[in-house]
Amino acid sequence: MIRTFTQDDLIRYVYHETTEAESKEIEQAMLFDAELEARYNEINGIKKRLDSAEQTPSDRVIANILDYSKSLNLLPNK
Amino acid sequence: MEKYKISDSQLVSLYKNGSEEAFEMLLDRHKSRVFTTIYLIVKDKYEAEDLLQEVFIKAIRTIKEGRYNEEGKFLPWILRIAHNLAIDHFRKEKRNPTIVMEDGSSVFNTMQFAEGSFESDQIRQETHAKLKQLINELPEAQKEVLVMRHYMEMSFQEIAESTGVSINTALGRMRYALINLRKKMQQYNIAYDQNFYPR
Repeated sequence: MIRTFTQDDLIRYVYHETTEAESKEIEQAMLFDAELEARYNEINGIKKRLDSAEQTPSDRVIANILDYSKSLNLLPNK
Repeated sequence: MEKYKISDSQLVSLYKNGSEEAFEMLLDRHKSRVFTTIYLIVKDKYEAEDLLQEVFIKAIRTIKEGRYNEEGKFLPWILRIAHNLAIDHFRKEKRNPTIVMEDGSSVFNTMQFAEGSFESDQIRQETHAKLKQLINELPEAQKEVLVMRHYMEMSFQEIAESTGVSINTALGRMRYALINLRKKMQQYNIAYDQNFYPR
């Protein structure tokens, strides 16, 4: 008997928080349940969009941080 | 789930032994994730950059002074510092609000984005700016879980413990966050473009 999976199960699956057995069950269920697969695609699509929204700080800030780290090497050890 | 040839903990060890190059690699590896986490809380690019510096200065001092706990993982540790500093800052700002542009357009327009392989720069920037706006419009509890799970890579169990709710509540908030985002993305026509589901 194929288990019924909820959206919460799919969210855990998309974020790699299901056990190996659960993951296999979900993958198996998606083969026969187009609606489940569609919901998975939807959640996974939003996740990908969120990945793409990641931003980078300016080079100036990164240079400041690196300079700070190097400056500590110049301080005498106690 | 280590996807790099040299692990974070190896880089931290090298850095402790004086390799600035190792630190540069660590910073380069995680700067975007840490910055995005901070930015989504404070909503201002320049404040987020100031806080990013503070976070890494704290990390540098902790590692160089030998106080870094080898048992833990670097990314969750530094994201925790970032989250706490950003929340503290956000609370202070709430008490002493400054005037900011309502639509945030000037801030969003100056943002730089992680490299992507599709869309023209302009379309990509507009889409990403909109998406950030939509994330910021989510109810606070939903946004908190979304940021913690997606950008800080905390597990739902860790989120539940950190926010004092059950794991089901944390999952429920994430579910509503994703549903709300999907609705808003559809509304603004950014969800189902041709690049949304590659292949």
